[in-house]
Amino acid sequence: MKRAFLLGLAAVLVALALYPMQATGYGVRTMLQLFMWIALAQSWNLISGLTGYVSFGHVAFFGMGAYSAGILIGKLGWAWPAACLAGGVMAMVLALVIGWPCLRLKGPYFAIAMLGLNEVLRVIVSYYEGLTGGGNGLSLPTLHASVPIYYAMGLVAIAVTALTYLVITSRFGLRLMTIREDEVAAEAMGIDTFRHKLYAFLLSAVGPGIVGGLAARDQGYIEPLSVFPLITTITMIVMALFGGKGTIWGPVLGAVVLFTFQELVWARFIYLHQLLFGAIIVAVVLMMPRGILGVLQQKYNLPRTI
Amino acid sequence: MVGQVVISGLLAGSLYAMVALGLGLIFGVMRVLNVAHGPMLMLGAYTTFWLFHWLGLSPYLSLLVSMPVLFVVGAVLQRLLVRRVVDAPELSSLLLTFGVSIAIVNLAQLMFTSDLRSVEYLTGSFILGPFAFSKSRVIACVFAILITAGAFWFLQKTRLGKALRAVSQSREVAQVCGIDVQRIHMLAFGVASALAAAGGSLVAVMVAIQPEMGQVYTFKSFLVIVLGGAGNYPGALLGGLLLGLVEQLSSLFLTTQVNEAVAYLLLVLVLLVRPTGLLKGRSS
Repeated sequence: MKRAFLLGLAAVLVALALYPMQATGYGVRTMLQLFMWIALAQSWNLISGLTGYVSFGHVAFFGMGAYSAGILIGKLGWAWPAACLAGGVMAMVLALVIGWPCLRLKGPYFAIAMLGLNEVLRVIVSYYEGLTGGGNGLSLPTLHASVPIYYAMGLVAIAVTALTYLVITSRFGLRLMTIREDEVAAEAMGIDTFRHKLYAFLLSAVGPGIVGGLAARDQGYIEPLSVFPLITTITMIVMALFGGKGTIWGPVLGAVVLFTFQELVWARFIYLHQLLFGAIIVAVVLMMPRGILGVLQQKYNLPRTI
Repeated sequence: MVGQVVISGLLAGSLYAMVALGLGLIFGVMRVLNVAHGPMLMLGAYTTFWLFHWLGLSPYLSLLVSMPVLFVVGAVLQRLLVRRVVDAPELSSLLLTFGVSIAIVNLAQLMFTSDLRSVEYLTGSFILGPFAFSKSRVIACVFAILITAGAFWFLQKTRLGKALRAVSQSREVAQVCGIDVQRIHMLAFGVASALAAAGGSLVAVMVAIQPEMGQVYTFKSFLVIVLGGAGNYPGALLGGLLLGLVEQLSSLFLTTQVNEAVAYLLLVLVLLVRPTGLLKGRSS
């Protein structure tokens, strides 16, 4: 079973690696977006799926990465791979600055603080026009690099998933899940809960930061409204939730299914798009809050490492 | 200058307090953070706009329509959807109400289009010594104070209001005392939506009406109830006035664009010093 799974996984990875050789530009960019969503949903899963702390403003790290990379490329002329990595670092810095006070908050207070962070970043970015272009946005020099960005995005998605695997199978991951189940008990057992939450938060910020930079480079133009929308946070949460939060493959599964659905179905309902998405969110929350893998795990007593 | 700013802050704050009191009621009674609170306000504003547009009804009289209508919408929403996530982790209720929120906004876009609408009703200002205040803001403040006072009277003096407070203190004990908790939940959601609708009707005269106008009030109401202490009803009033003041004062020194950031900084500071808000709120 395990060998079959690994073989299948290897086959998928090889196919994806070869895909750009005979794909259209549109196909490459669609797949690249899928990788982006996998990385985002998986990163959200690292903090919220494992510790239970709902990061309701995770797109803030995406936007931070996008703007850091955008400024480094556009104003300082950095090469995009370096700039995107720097975007990841900047997102971690932001996570440190914001996590230090906010991770002491419990439950809904943390969710509101994160929601606020995102709103505030958007306001600040609109305000400092000299650096960010303000509401007019920031244009990057033209560059046709869809295929390299495809591979970079894919690598990030793989890296974040591998990171999740390492975390979930480690003692560190067990401690995080203890915090999720009962924080007071975790503290009583000697776990430094604040430090663990902060580490998980930092790990969950780096992926969105890099991905944000790559997305900025790919689109060539960013503006405050396009990189800090609440709906991006919600989409990554719904993907993780749909597949199964707190699992390794759940966010990947959720991202693949919902993204495919989005590409195939929603594009036909331009005016009803948000209404449909709202209905999907409500349906997922009401009918399967544990997600596909969560249900399977419970029903068939599967191991945590799914 | 400072006097003018302080009074403007209190005028705006009284509206924030009223709208946030609704959000606080829902949180206090059900432990649900209602992201769809702002869209309720938007629906209230549209009710006022259409009544004014078609019938020429005064925006202040339209409160008599918008509040009952949104009361029913809120109660139905609670009955059909929110009821199912009351005991779930906060992620469920946040997501569910967000889903409802974008669905409502999308429906409003389809039905009303995204055109900016306005109600040209009361323009001009009161001049009082060195101060000048726009008439619509002063009157909105008066109405907000009356409605908020009415809500507090309801909570303090009526049997139903007492039952509501009992449920927010302890659901189990209230149930043992024979209170129909499900009904109180519906009532709380209805009252909260009516308060949001009142806010919408009152701001309809001052700001542009469009389907996405509500979101910023959702965010501000969140700030207010956390500032004041979530689940603490007088705290919502204090938080609302404080938010109004801080926004106006910060606009003295900074451009109005960044006052949202200032309000947020205030929130983080308050949470660091008193994690449960200024007046003691409930830990989750």
